Amino acid sequence: MATMDVAVAPRLRRRARTSGTRRRLPLPSKIAAAVIALLLLAAVFAPLLTSQSPTVGVLGDRLLAPGSSGHLLGTDGQGRDIFTRLVYGARPSLLTGMIPVAVAGLIGTAFGLIAGLGKPLLHSSVMRFLDVFYAFPAVLLAIAIAAALGSGSSNAIIALSVILIPPIARVSEAETGRLRNADFMEAARASGSSWSALAFRQVLPNIAPAVVVYCTALIGLSIVYSAGLSYLGLGIAPPTAEWGLMISDLQQYMFTTPSLLIAPALAIVVASVAFNVLGDGLGNYLNVRSEIA
Amino acid sequence: MISFLLRRLLAAVPILIGVSIVVFITIKIIPGDPVASLLGPTSTPEARAALESRLGLDQPLPVQYLQWVWHLLQGDLGTSISKQTQVLGLVLDAFWNTLILTAFAAILAFAMGIALGAVAALRRGKAVAALGNAIALISISLPQYSVGLLLIIYIATGTGLLPTAGMYDAIGGGGWGDLFRHIILPGVTAALVPAGIIARMFRTTVIDVMSMDFIDALRARGMSERRILLHAFHNTTPTLLTIAGLQLGYLLGGVVFVETVFSWPGIGLLVFQSIAQRDLPVIQAGVIVSALAFVVINLVVDALHATIDPRMRAHS
Repeated sequence: MATMDVAVAPRLRRRARTSGTRRRLPLPSKIAAAVIALLLLAAVFAPLLTSQSPTVGVLGDRLLAPGSSGHLLGTDGQGRDIFTRLVYGARPSLLTGMIPVAVAGLIGTAFGLIAGLGKPLLHSSVMRFLDVFYAFPAVLLAIAIAAALGSGSSNAIIALSVILIPPIARVSEAETGRLRNADFMEAARASGSSWSALAFRQVLPNIAPAVVVYCTALIGLSIVYSAGLSYLGLGIAPPTAEWGLMISDLQQYMFTTPSLLIAPALAIVVASVAFNVLGDGLGNYLNVRSEIA
Repeated sequence: MISFLLRRLLAAVPILIGVSIVVFITIKIIPGDPVASLLGPTSTPEARAALESRLGLDQPLPVQYLQWVWHLLQGDLGTSISKQTQVLGLVLDAFWNTLILTAFAAILAFAMGIALGAVAALRRGKAVAALGNAIALISISLPQYSVGLLLIIYIATGTGLLPTAGMYDAIGGGGWGDLFRHIILPGVTAALVPAGIIARMFRTTVIDVMSMDFIDALRARGMSERRILLHAFHNTTPTLLTIAGLQLGYLLGGVVFVETVFSWPGIGLLVFQSIAQRDLPVIQAGVIVSALAFVVINLVVDALHATIDPRMRAHS
């Protein structure tokens, strides 16, 4: 399906670099990078930021409103401090968002290299194989895989990795295809470079910027999806603190103490926006643009 | 045109076969022994063997797959474990409700996306364009469950003007007006991400079209800017159609979260309820029906594309 390719292939374009102007990471991207750094630090140093337990609450302190003494963001239905759970929750929430992108990044790039450098038959069989995954609404496929494997963070990571491989492979294939007939590739072939030398020495360094930019933006999406799987009951199991799980847990008090829900709901928004803004800025910085389709 | 459509239909066949294989694999990766879980721990080996052969589980995998596809083609998607009814009926009823929500969200997404993208493209370098770009970027990043819950807290219960859940009022509900009141919040929630994506793609397209030679030619002939925009818009329709196909598919999948938050009785809510009950036949049926709908939508988009753009027909 030729149009499917056109339809779903991420739009990549290089901008003519205006000579003389130094490339700079735009301010919003710097802020986004700082926010991501803060989130990662919070995740690593969670035990230093709070002295309370993320999993065991004080039953006498149930459902305290935000701003109560000792509980900046209030407490949940089991008397657990929400700030503590938010900080500890950064760990699984960010990890289950980032690991699938890393896994899919490696596998997807490999698929793209194989398809982009392979003979026409190999190229079309890899791409048609990937087309199959494009026929599924991605979230539903992830849910079906995660539901079949059973809940748990590793299964959620597997499910997300599967749905992220095809779009990354498309980017990698599109970029590889652009280089296939470049002069330096002809030169490398003429001087007898092996397939692996072509792929790793010539192509990979050239397609890396585009793939990395695309993957950065995908982390935002992946965080949203992985928290979403936990929200639906398919990710990490309670009582672990995780943002999606916190939302589904606090949702039952939505009409009595709605203010408790806001912190975890916003945490996911902040993390996702930060990665998307960073990806966008990196795209400008490295002169690659990729649209999430 | 007819041969073009036939070729497209033929091209969809391997995709559908692939889809069925992927779903079949998700059935086969389910951990645990289905026979043992159906019969319980006290079952005898003979009873297990009997059930195994009755369910066809003693056959080799390719045979099992063909049997499964054969049932699928006859509309037999299995029996719901929790509701003990045919899955097909359950899924089709829910799918209709999902389509209503998806259609409404798609209209919203296109209106917002085209407006945002046009502003960002035509006012390039101005503050309003930067604002448009920022809104689009943030809107792509928004998790639907967060947005939905915040809308319920601040809009539905905050103002009391709109209902918090469902498709119709339980008492005295029904009719278009009631449906409209219920669809606004879930529709907006579902539309935000696609609106952002449409805005970003439409912006690039408009910028591309506006830098083409024919725009300069029109200007040179003294055509008014407004009429030039009309010509430019006409040239963006093929891209818009392509985006439409993609985003409708995204909406079909993304409504799981929206429907769960707003208790909208569609495929998403059905899938969510089935997760808790480990009712896998229903989840698989939901995925198959959505994938089928996605493939059909793409076929329709291709056909429309070919109708308005003769280059499409020539190319393939």
